[in-house]
Amino acid sequence: MKLGLPTFLRTTTFKLALLYSAMFAAFSAALLVYLYYSTVYYIRNESDRRLDLEFEQLGNAYFTGGMERLSQSVLERMTRTGSTYFYYLEDSSGRKIAGHFGRMPVAPPEADSKTVYFDFDQPEPDGSVIVRSAAGKFVRLRDNGGALLVAFDTAQQTAIVGRIQRAIFIAAPIGLFLSLLGGVLSSRGAASRADDLARTAEAVMGGELGRRVPVRGSGDEFDRLGQRINAMLDQIEKLVDATRNTGNAIAHDLRSPLSRLRNRLEIALSQPLSQDAANATLSETVEEVDRVLATFNAILRLARLEAGAEGERVRMDVSELAEELAELFDPACEEAELSFKSQIARHMMILGDRDLIGQALANMLDNAVKYTPAGGAISFTVQRGPDGTIDLTVVDSGPGVPEASRALVVQRFQRLDSARTQPGSGLGLSLVDSVADMHGGRLMLQDAGGPPERPGLKAVLRLPRA
Amino acid sequence: MMQDTLVENTAVGDTMRVLVIEDDAEMANFIEKVLLEAGHSVDKAIDGERGLELARSADFDALVVDRMLPAKDGLTLLKEYREAGGTTPALFLSALGDVQNRVQGLKAGADDYLSKPFAPSELAARVEALGRRQAGEPQVTALKAGDLEMNLLSRKVTRAGKKIDLQPREFRLLEYLMRHAGQVVTRTMLLEKVWDYNFDPQTNVIDVHISRLRAKIDKEFDEPLLHTVRGAGYRLQG
Repeated sequence: MKLGLPTFLRTTTFKLALLYSAMFAAFSAALLVYLYYSTVYYIRNESDRRLDLEFEQLGNAYFTGGMERLSQSVLERMTRTGSTYFYYLEDSSGRKIAGHFGRMPVAPPEADSKTVYFDFDQPEPDGSVIVRSAAGKFVRLRDNGGALLVAFDTAQQTAIVGRIQRAIFIAAPIGLFLSLLGGVLSSRGAASRADDLARTAEAVMGGELGRRVPVRGSGDEFDRLGQRINAMLDQIEKLVDATRNTGNAIAHDLRSPLSRLRNRLEIALSQPLSQDAANATLSETVEEVDRVLATFNAILRLARLEAGAEGERVRMDVSELAEELAELFDPACEEAELSFKSQIARHMMILGDRDLIGQALANMLDNAVKYTPAGGAISFTVQRGPDGTIDLTVVDSGPGVPEASRALVVQRFQRLDSARTQPGSGLGLSLVDSVADMHGGRLMLQDAGGPPERPGLKAVLRLPRA
Repeated sequence: MMQDTLVENTAVGDTMRVLVIEDDAEMANFIEKVLLEAGHSVDKAIDGERGLELARSADFDALVVDRMLPAKDGLTLLKEYREAGGTTPALFLSALGDVQNRVQGLKAGADDYLSKPFAPSELAARVEALGRRQAGEPQVTALKAGDLEMNLLSRKVTRAGKKIDLQPREFRLLEYLMRHAGQVVTRTMLLEKVWDYNFDPQTNVIDVHISRLRAKIDKEFDEPLLHTVRGAGYRLQG
């Protein structure tokens, strides 16, 4: 751009157009030259052939009837209508016997036979004189010494050749100009589409993540490239949004515990503390910091999981894992005065990462234990789902999740406001969702069908069977 | 008890000599303080080369190796140490607490893994578990803690001669606690070693299992054996 050249002049397309124009010009020139020479050659050749024919016939007359017959034949031909030939016959002493010209229009050559070119004056009926060009053949008659000239007017020939020349000289630059123009136009088209891409990229780099490459719907390479780039930008925007949300959520979820921490320390600093009070403050502080670290670790884990940086899938018996987890959670449910039932179909195989699946199931169970009030019930079932899947289901009799909020709870860091008072990082179900995604399954949240004031939540982790 | 104690009530008795290979001076000092308070002696190395040299030249009871080290990273150090025939048990430290790193560390020859940040009690408990392990587990067929006895062959458990019935999982839990009798055992250690879980089930599931076990082994007896160590874990004290 600093060179002051229009952008399209520096594009590859334009350079290609220029190259094609040059090649087109070269080929056209070669073609025209060939056309010119072959036409001219043909015309000359044809004239020579017809001239030879004349001589042959006149020669026959001469050989059969001598000079007398020849002159007669010449006279006949001169008067024949439509004849395009000029004749001149002279005897050995150079006297005219017959012919169009007053005297021999060319100097007699040394050789007996020669092709000659000459100009002659032709008087017109209005008295003016036109100079005409002719080409012909001069032949000296053997054993007689006379000479015969047969010629034809070259005006027509010259006109044809001239016309061809003119055509070539006019057509060539026009063709060259048009091919250049075409090149420039097409490269400008391509350059403008490349500019669209560049402008979009610049806008995106400048932070306008919503910008997209214009697609014209013509289905050409630029459209397809544009569509791919747009799909890529969609994905990037999604990831950036996710990161941004994560950042916001981190800020949100970590700010309040950190502020609490700071306040507590500030208060502790501002007053003289007994040893016991200081210890109490410090141990509360350590607990708070531990919670912050736990949240932070959970965020990191989720981020790594979503980036696909964690987990190794092997064929495993998910029923076994579920049995163990049921056994692990059973006493905890009893402690929380919840009835716990598990029904686990045997030997369900999946392709999974044991730790991640375990964490996901534990999160579902933990969620149920946390949100179900005492006296409630939790059931844990593992059974075949539709289409070669396995459903791992946890049903509780807690407050449930209103339908409108279900998409929200699986989003990272989302906790329903009513749940903010409960401990937890708010990452439990998001992690289940991520694990489901990674295993080609999904997490479904449904009403458990309890009474309206406490419908309960039915969480189904559906995984493909291996 | 001293006010600046980091680890409460750790079993003193087996004094261990621990080599800490850690380049971050503050972290190294923290680890040293934790281990000193737990009654162990500590040597420190600040890079991988020196760490490996020290580990080879002196007789330690346990190694604490950080993953990221100048001169030679922790994984390489462990691999070379094991290849040269070093047998001292090692605890691998890493800032990244995910599964891949743990597996890599264990493959390289670590005996246990701990991700930063960690609680002092967790570090102390794990180092002690390492030292005890080396002391000689192999031919044990019976475990004893006070008047509590466990026969590993017949799988019978008795306290003061009275038979105690345990579920299989409770048996394994008690076995682990008895093998580490006198030591603090953290919840995470129990999850990893007894349940083989490398994830956090969050709900206080372990506490509930412990209290059930406690009901079986301590309830009818005057002297409790299974103690809760506040902020750290549990200890079976014979």
